[in-house]
Amino acid sequence: MATNPSQLLPSELIDRCIGSKIWVIMKGDKELVGTLRGFDVYVNMVLEDVTEYEITAEGRRITKLDQILLNGNNIAIVSDNHSFNVYMPLFREVTSLWTISQTN
Amino acid sequence: MSIGGEKGSASTKTPADFLKSIRGRPVVVKLNSGVDYRGILACLDGYMNIAMEQTEEYVNGQLKNKYGDAFIRGNNVLYISTSKRTLAEGSS
Repeated sequence: MATNPSQLLPSELIDRCIGSKIWVIMKGDKELVGTLRGFDVYVNMVLEDVTEYEITAEGRRITKLDQILLNGNNIAIVSDNHSFNVYMPLFREVTSLWTISQTN
Repeated sequence: MSIGGEKGSASTKTPADFLKSIRGRPVVVKLNSGVDYRGILACLDGYMNIAMEQTEEYVNGQLKNKYGDAFIRGNNVLYISTSKRTLAEGSS
């Protein structure tokens, strides 16, 4: 029963994403896209080549970051790059509305 | 890139590895409130409690304050980012 191969732990699902580009949706109008390098039991994540999308009272802002340790506390949804490819074009359409905060 | 294609110790970097690797480096710490702190990371722990030196406080990308030494309690931390690119003049 316990070894049913069709059973998959949530953490295994995330583990399969290591090395791939993922899409993280946070609580409160914030999303990040980046390459997953690792994570722990709290789903804190190490991400590389990150783009952060946030909507604040001051407007929309995009921030590019090299490598980050993301606190798992506010993570709502993690999605792989397949979903990302479907939905991200919608995002790009409106990027002209965004304030780009280039960091280099 | 196939899912799990790069899985393995060579490319995997867990949060613990990351914490070890960034001590003494310039970092950007973003809090849940949206405020950024940029400075040299003096030390940190598994709770993401952070001690920083030469800290600059940025609100909406604008420098608001400077602290010689600063302690940030981990529960407020959204992310810790490396910054060989200092973000100083980047944000608008």
